[in-house]
Amino acid sequence: MSQVLIQAGSRFLNALGRHSDLIMHAYVNGSVDESNFSRKVLEQLIQLGILWRPDPQSALRLKSAVRNLLESGLQDERNRNINANIGTALASLKTIAEHYKESLHYNRFNEAHAYMTDLTEHVYQLTESLANSVRVMFSRINNEFGYVSSVEAKIRENELAQGQVSELLNQLECFRFDELSEIAGSNRELRHLLVVALQQSFSKATQELSVAQARLLDLLGRFREFQGRTRLLKGFLLHMEHHPDFAPGNYPNLTQVPVLFNQSAAMLKPASIDVNQVAHEQELQQIVASLSSVYRRKPTVSEPEKASTIDVSEQQSVDLESDPLQEEVDAYFCEVIDNGQSLSALDYFSQRELEFDPEVWIYQVIGGYQALDDEDKQFFAIDPVGRADEKYTGNFVIHDVTLGLR
Amino acid sequence: MMTEQGKVLSALLNGQFICQVSDEDSWRFLKSRDNASKLEPHLNLLNRTLATTGEGEVFFAGYLTLGDEERKVLLQQFQETTSSLVPLVEWLLLVQQASESDMPLTMGNAIRLNELQTVIEDTPAYSEQLEKISRYRLFGSTSVNLDGQLKQVFKKLTDLGYLMKPNPEKQIYLATGKVEHLFEVIRFIDETESLSLSEQAEAAIQQGSLL
Repeated sequence: MSQVLIQAGSRFLNALGRHSDLIMHAYVNGSVDESNFSRKVLEQLIQLGILWRPDPQSALRLKSAVRNLLESGLQDERNRNINANIGTALASLKTIAEHYKESLHYNRFNEAHAYMTDLTEHVYQLTESLANSVRVMFSRINNEFGYVSSVEAKIRENELAQGQVSELLNQLECFRFDELSEIAGSNRELRHLLVVALQQSFSKATQELSVAQARLLDLLGRFREFQGRTRLLKGFLLHMEHHPDFAPGNYPNLTQVPVLFNQSAAMLKPASIDVNQVAHEQELQQIVASLSSVYRRKPTVSEPEKASTIDVSEQQSVDLESDPLQEEVDAYFCEVIDNGQSLSALDYFSQRELEFDPEVWIYQVIGGYQALDDEDKQFFAIDPVGRADEKYTGNFVIHDVTLGLR
Repeated sequence: MMTEQGKVLSALLNGQFICQVSDEDSWRFLKSRDNASKLEPHLNLLNRTLATTGEGEVFFAGYLTLGDEERKVLLQQFQETTSSLVPLVEWLLLVQQASESDMPLTMGNAIRLNELQTVIEDTPAYSEQLEKISRYRLFGSTSVNLDGQLKQVFKKLTDLGYLMKPNPEKQIYLATGKVEHLFEVIRFIDETESLSLSEQAEAAIQQGSLL
């Protein structure tokens, strides 16, 4: 028996998969366009209970079970049905639970097992349908009934949703957990299904539904406000059409001017530049630098310049005279080379009776030596003559230098 | 550098409307009663006071005492407001009808200019309506093509502070708190002059008048 059932089921599912185009077409458009599909396929689908014809003249439509399957699978917001029939579901739960207990009592375990599966199925179906209803409700709230365009339609949809929520809440009151727990008795499995699972979904659903109710009321208020605003605008235009010369009273002339019309004029003007403000110097400079053009051009009148006569004559020759001090230093160096003996700078100074400042002379000699290139420096040795300072150690005071050959 | 307080104060003195959309930081600052009371003496010094509209969500500066000068300013403002009411209301209805949701424009709503333009282009009644609106002196468009008219209207509304463009690169506009102020003005006129505008509109809808 079960083998046959499985085969039939997979045939059904295969048919769904094979003709998914047709089925989705029917789902979206509401009915099947029979001319587009072959007769045989349509017949087959009708036989499998996927399509049906409500009355002989009407087009083929999807069976509601298939439509529900798609709606819940696709989380389609078009699904606005809320299954509020909890009372009957609860009654059937209680009945099956009684069957189960009875069969257990008479030790008919096979039967009991079948009842248990059935009961589990029913309980989960109920919790799923509850969760689904809440989800549908919230999806509608969240897009603010976006599937209808006018505010009036939104208000109607909102009222419908509110009706459904209160209906659901009323139905939820049918849950009598004391009764259920009495039925479950001490049976662990029954208790888990009837008390724990149901209670969880019950408390979740009630909580979310009360939130939904509050949100719906809130939305309704907003829609009504929108409606009021629209009417105000339209009414104003209508009034202006009927009374084109209408002018409101002169409210600013009243002793008590309404706040709405008491709006002060703008008074702040940009501040001026203070060039004496030192702190701003840099910014001001930057501003000036970034000016792309300064509107202060001189008139560009270019008068033709007079042709000047060109004087062709010999240029004055330039004589480069060396510094006498420099020359004397060179002579001193030559003297040392000629004699081949060390000679103090000051001795040479007094020999030649030079007229420079002696200190300048010594500096110039040292400078002259330093100015030689490395190769020439190697021929000479220069020794400072002096003594350490009396007071400050580490200072060496030079009186004279002695230049000699190495 | 200016402190938050200084920033808010100068915005108010500049005649700006401060709401959550146009300047969220300043709006948050003003929402705190402490901060608002700290600002008040500064405003009072300049004969201003902090005023709110749009159910306390929009702030602006009003006059503390009204002398002749102030009344002159207010009168001029009032005349501007009343003369621009009809174009603004027509524009609001156009945007509402052309948007898919049929919701009136409220603070923080986004208008995608490209989408709006497509709808208006595809619907001759809307394009006629837009042309009529753009010819009002408030918008002063002389453009013959729809694109230019729409851009001019939106630019003008942004200048007037009813809309703001958060991203200069994108053609998306947000409605500011000034729109709420506009609604309040109409509501006020409705109540003061006992025009019962809503009832008029409802009656017209029931009679099947084409609105």
